[in-house]
Amino acid sequence: MTDTATDPALEVAPGEPILEIRNLSISFFTRTREIPAVMDFSATVRAGEALGLVGESGCGKSTVALGVMQDLGVNGRITGGSIKFRGEELTTMSPARLREIRGRDIAMIYQEPMASLNPALKVDRQLMEVPMIHEGISADEARARALEVVRDVRLPDPERILDAYPHQLSGGQQQRIVIAMALMSKPALLILDEPTTALDVTVEAAVIDLVRELGEKYGTSMLFISHNLGLVLETCDRIAVMYSGEAVERGRIGEVFDEMRHPYTQALFRAIPLPGADKATRPLIAIPGNFPLPDERPPGCNFGPRCDYFQKGRCDAQSIPMIEVPGDAHEARCIRTDEIDWDAPPDISDHRESPEIGEVVLKVDGLQKYYEVSRPGLLGGGEAQVVKANETLSFEAHESETLAIVGESGCGKSTLAKVLMGLETATAGGVELDGRAVGDVPIEKRDTRTVADVQMVFQNPFDTLNPSMTVGRQIIRALEIFGVGAGPRDRKKRMLELLDLVKLPREFATRMPRQLSGGQKQRVGIARAFAGGARIVVADEPVSALDVSVQAAVTDLLMEIQREQKTTLLFISHDLSIVRYLADRVMVMYLGHVVEIGAARDVFAPPYHPYTEALLSAVPVADTHVEKKHIVLEGDVPSAMNPPSGCPFQTRCRWKSRVPGDLCEREVPPMVSFAPGHQVKCHLSPEEFASMEPVITLAEN
Amino acid sequence: MEPLSWTGAWGVWLNPLLGLAVAGLVAASLLSVALSLLSAPVRRQSLPDGTLAARDGLHGMADMAGRAFLWLTALVLALYLLLPFALPYGALGIVGELSRRLLPVWIALGATFGLSIVFKRRLGLYGKLFDSTIGMAGFALVVFWVFTAIFAGLFDMIATHDPLTALSGMKNKVPGTPLAMGDDGVYPHYLLGGDNLARDVFSRMVHGSWIVVQIAPLATIFAFLVGITLGLPAGFYAGRLDTVLSFLANLILAFPVILLFYLLVTPEMVQTGVPAYMAMVLFLFPIAFFAVLLNARLSPRPVLRLVVLAALFILGGWLYLSMVSQDGTPVDFWPDALDLFDVPGGILVVFVSVVFVNAPTVFRIVRGLTMDIKTRDYVAAAQTRGESPWYIMLWEILPNARGPLIVDFCLRIGYTTILLGTLGFFGLGLPPDSPDWGSTINLGRRLLSIYPHAAMVPALALLSLVLGLNLLADGLREESLKD
Ligand code: SF4
Ligand code: SF4
Repeated sequence: MTDTATDPALEVAPGEPILEIRNLSISFFTRTREIPAVMDFSATVRAGEALGLVGESGCGKSTVALGVMQDLGVNGRITGGSIKFRGEELTTMSPARLREIRGRDIAMIYQEPMASLNPALKVDRQLMEVPMIHEGISADEARARALEVVRDVRLPDPERILDAYPHQLSGGQQQRIVIAMALMSKPALLILDEPTTALDVTVEAAVIDLVRELGEKYGTSMLFISHNLGLVLETCDRIAVMYSGEAVERGRIGEVFDEMRHPYTQALFRAIPLPGADKATRPLIAIPGNFPLPDERPPGCNFGPRCDYFQKGRCDAQSIPMIEVPGDAHEARCIRTDEIDWDAPPDISDHRESPEIGEVVLKVDGLQKYYEVSRPGLLGGGEAQVVKANETLSFEAHESETLAIVGESGCGKSTLAKVLMGLETATAGGVELDGRAVGDVPIEKRDTRTVADVQMVFQNPFDTLNPSMTVGRQIIRALEIFGVGAGPRDRKKRMLELLDLVKLPREFATRMPRQLSGGQKQRVGIARAFAGGARIVVADEPVSALDVSVQAAVTDLLMEIQREQKTTLLFISHDLSIVRYLADRVMVMYLGHVVEIGAARDVFAPPYHPYTEALLSAVPVADTHVEKKHIVLEGDVPSAMNPPSGCPFQTRCRWKSRVPGDLCEREVPPMVSFAPGHQVKCHLSPEEFASMEPVITLAEN
Repeated sequence: MEPLSWTGAWGVWLNPLLGLAVAGLVAASLLSVALSLLSAPVRRQSLPDGTLAARDGLHGMADMAGRAFLWLTALVLALYLLLPFALPYGALGIVGELSRRLLPVWIALGATFGLSIVFKRRLGLYGKLFDSTIGMAGFALVVFWVFTAIFAGLFDMIATHDPLTALSGMKNKVPGTPLAMGDDGVYPHYLLGGDNLARDVFSRMVHGSWIVVQIAPLATIFAFLVGITLGLPAGFYAGRLDTVLSFLANLILAFPVILLFYLLVTPEMVQTGVPAYMAMVLFLFPIAFFAVLLNARLSPRPVLRLVVLAALFILGGWLYLSMVSQDGTPVDFWPDALDLFDVPGGILVVFVSVVFVNAPTVFRIVRGLTMDIKTRDYVAAAQTRGESPWYIMLWEILPNARGPLIVDFCLRIGYTTILLGTLGFFGLGLPPDSPDWGSTINLGRRLLSIYPHAAMVPALALLSLVLGLNLLADGLREESLKD
């Protein structure tokens, strides 16, 4: 090493390694045994470079970050290898020196912004503290720097923000403050652990944009941890893919994305919906099996049991080392990289017919839902405020159809679901189910048939099942309530058949939910929803909390059952990739309004509603062939309690200036029809619409 | 017969051994504390070959010595318990003979622990208790008293004498005194001495445990049923119902407990029938609770529901009427022929007061848990299935609130036990010659400065049981958090 090793304060020239992790192993110790969390992990982050660490939950990626921070808790220990920061060994460093480095040279940003903010201190104090402690600069100087950094993270009205308490800011603003805090000390290395998972898509896109820009401006190196391949593609230069505690592939981001040399990476890419995937002709391919638990890892290759190219006697004979493959420092942990035909198309055995779209099942006409919330005044005399959760929604859904409802938090999609389910009643307008009006019938008054007809699949797999009842019992309860089956014996049979339907082994009937993985729980949730032969199933982000490799399988299952039972699927999601893949029609919502509705191919092609356009641009796509137009929305979604006048989107719209006068601010735009069934709620003139360019283009390659 | 000393002939060398072991243990722990104050803890280091260097030098030695002395202490204690079975009567003094009397308890305790540890992986939360040292210690103490109570109360095994008969010449005798008139077939010693009415302190303590172990949990269960039945709807519906119920709960909580007891238990009050009327209301709750519970579960199966509910109402109603109708109180309407049992007036009053005092706290815990759990998706799923509110409360929410409730239940049995003691101490509630611990302490306290043993023995018993319950609650909390 050069003299940078002896004097760490010296700036490191670009290209020099900032962080060098070599053969790192980390274990957690319980009273009885050792659980290896990370094994033989090596990586290098060079100055000004961003390294992405991707993998599913439990693969050890966050443990690596904690290892770098030397913050493994009482049970975690580094059991081998070295971590060098600018040539200094972190594993043997004295606690005092470590504290110094951690605050000043390495900063970390966590998923939950509030975890890093002190709720009792104003923002400016928290920001100023950092350089005052670590560099001993004066308060005035620190304040000036805080102001500069807050401007840098593009927060509006920096003075006001500095004077606020963290809870007065929105989630996106909080995360920006955390980033600002991390930047206050001008760190050499920034570790980001799923920094945007808790944010909405358009806000996420803006934060990611910011991170990338700041990285360039300050020359900060980054270790970016995420489960989202698209995000990593947009932010990082190099990537390490992790599986079950090991790095399985490592290299330049373009090479790994386009010429992956590990079966797991390949399987991962085949399991996520990329533009071009299509449920009928190019379905997703789920990775079979489950992620191994840390104490149940197979001998030899960890991916062996799920690998298509597994060879007995070779893959499970010895532990597999990292092997160089052609490319720029491209390595993969697979002994068969030379033998596999990487360009062979995936074998798609079952071509599926798209189902016939049938009659109208659900008809929503001018649905309105307002809530009254009384702001608690001092003497109870607070004025009542109205939250306009849904504004005159009108749409229809047909038998066997998948209608996707897209929007960010606060757009009113959950309220719509509640009204459909009967948990809330409509303020005005009508909901008709097979010709019966149900909009103002609360669930207690609905007859069994109607209740069984409209069912729901919930988002959080860890919350969807009652933890103290066996799986079988919960399904049987649904059957009992829906009046299915002649007696206990018959219902038990039905229950087992439902388990078959969702492809779970029958033994699961006697299991408790905590013994199931997330994907399996979600399957039980699906079985429960279909127990009464539902006509409409509202699926509220059913796969967004699942790991990538499981998402494909659950999505597939949902669509298969839908096809067989001719169910109408209302698929609520903010993830446009999956919507593009499976929806027949798409409805885009913003602040309680439907701003665009139409067949999927019409919605995903111009002309767009300006909000749809921004949404499309915001969704990260894990495909190097895709070129995206870069549209960043300013600010956050306004509160539904205090919506803007006129067009709901006017506070963030980039097309607003093309509309003459202040029409957008005065009047709610009408629905304009384009293709049959394709409607957009916008004042833009037909010429402007015609001038719109597609957001996503697939480069021919 | 000779008087027994505390540890007899063998104690001469066992006692110094124990003293040594304990002294060593204390010294080692002190050393370890002092060392960690002096020098910063050395972090465990990984060596190149992948092994770990544990703490070395003085630290390591202090740790090791501590562990060795701990084992030695445990070994000597085990000797105290086991040796008597190999030795003749009295060789290990009072301690030895106590251990011999408690033989059935040791066997039962050993069997319980052996089986539980072997099958602990299959026993859910109960099994996990055996992963926590604190939990095991607490469980051992509690189960020790439960077994003692059962063997003494049901099988009449452990006690050496009748708890109520006085033997002449034994008044206020110190522990280990031989009987004045050594009859054949009568146990020759008062192991823990005699009280001021010349009754055997050991036998009274053992029989007292049966009363404590019966009443405290039962009364606590009633308090829980009341608290749960009111707390669930308060948390679930919130709004006005919650406001009213919470206000009432706070009102009762704000009332000084002992004063309340005095009011409830004084004979004048009993005469007016207030406690009896309160009993009428409180004892309705269990029936209401189980009726709603079963009704909600069985509503999709009408025939079964009819049968079960009818059975519940007939049996429960009968028990209820027998319970509330008491001879000699204003509430005495139920023909004696049908009256299954007459609960002694004192106990009924004790029940009422325990429920009255504990239910508001339980109510608040349940209400808080309900508010938290009702936001879960599985509750929403139940709502979208069109389940009735009571089904949701009792089958979706309550089972998932059980962790904190079980912990609180253990703690609350402890409070109730102390409450019983307090009541007995004031001469309230149970009849004055009852061997329960509170009354015994009360009797013994008058001569406390001269003959402490009559009060100390039940006081230590009470202490160990409550300690056990608290440790058990701690262990359960710790283990349930790990889930
Ligand atoms: S080593 Fe074998 S099992 Fe592992 S990824 Fe390569 S081919 Fe598959
Ligand atoms: S109406 Fe105006 S503000 Fe609204 S989306 Fe169209 S152009 Fe933008």
